[in-house]
Amino acid sequence: MSAADNKHFHRVVDYLRNRDANDATLTDVVALAEITAESFSAFFQSMDATIYRELREIANYITTMKSEIGALQANDLRAKRIPAAGRELDLIVQQTEEATNTIMSCAEAIMAADATDLAGYKAYVDDKAMMLFEACSFQDLTGQRVRKVVETLHQIETRVTRFAAAINARDAGGFVDDAERRRAERAEKLMLHGPQERHDAIQQTSVDAMFTDGKGSQDEIDAMFP
Amino acid sequence: MAVDLSMPILVVDDYQTMIRIIRNLLKQLGFDDVDDAADGSAALGKLKEKKYGLVISDWNMEPMTGYELLKEVRADDQLRTTPFIMVTAESKTENVIAAKKAGVNNYIVKPFNAQTLKSKIDAVFGA
Repeated sequence: MSAADNKHFHRVVDYLRNRDANDATLTDVVALAEITAESFSAFFQSMDATIYRELREIANYITTMKSEIGALQANDLRAKRIPAAGRELDLIVQQTEEATNTIMSCAEAIMAADATDLAGYKAYVDDKAMMLFEACSFQDLTGQRVRKVVETLHQIETRVTRFAAAINARDAGGFVDDAERRRAERAEKLMLHGPQERHDAIQQTSVDAMFTDGKGSQDEIDAMFP
Repeated sequence: MAVDLSMPILVVDDYQTMIRIIRNLLKQLGFDDVDDAADGSAALGKLKEKKYGLVISDWNMEPMTGYELLKEVRADDQLRTTPFIMVTAESKTENVIAAKKAGVNNYIVKPFNAQTLKSKIDAVFGA
């Protein structure tokens, strides 16, 4: 109980103690009502101040959140940067595929060429070799495109990290939607890990050992699948 | 035992460039009868229509993976003895162990070269 509440409580008690209960007049009742009203007034004033302070804190938090959400630039990311990064990746795939096809076509043509006329064969191979060099220039372009995509990823990482720190976010478990859950479950069930980083990938020699010198025998394998 | 160069080979990969690469490598090794399929279910259909001497399959494909294809082949009375080589970028030990447990005859990690492909085919056929 606050000091103000105590003060009014004591006023009411003192008033009642000093009155004869069998001799209460209308004036007494009105006086008691006034004391009670003053007590409630003080109570509501203190309550109003608490609520006001809490509402102001909430308003400040919302203002900060609006500022942080604005700093995320989510609309810019969604409408421009992420689609642009997607287009860059599509072009990387397309240019890599075109270069690969050119390189393989040249190699196939060289392998199928008639080598009976040595001078003609030399000129033909030189021509195809030049096409191979030209096709390899894709690496410069795709390298630049990859750097643009990496830059976009860094921008997203920076903004999301700042936002997460601002709202003191904790990671929720589970998946964003059913499609994400299904993809994860399929990858887990069918062991779809994709290419590994060089230091994590098993080497062909290790694979060969499992097929030739008894390592990974059926008994050993069975023991790994109890 | 010499490898039969006339045997039909089925190459299964969802990436046309990789099919083309393996086709060319096989051609260099002397194999001319090479078909292809873009995923496990398409491959299974072809395997039931024609008798193949060897299946060379990728792992990661949709809708049916090479791992599922391998298990289907080994569960089918008509196909269970078909030699099966996995050629894949799945380079975790657990993948190799699972493939061996499922009955794969050999396992090649991408990227690979002609010599590796030849040595694994030779190993499968005891050449």
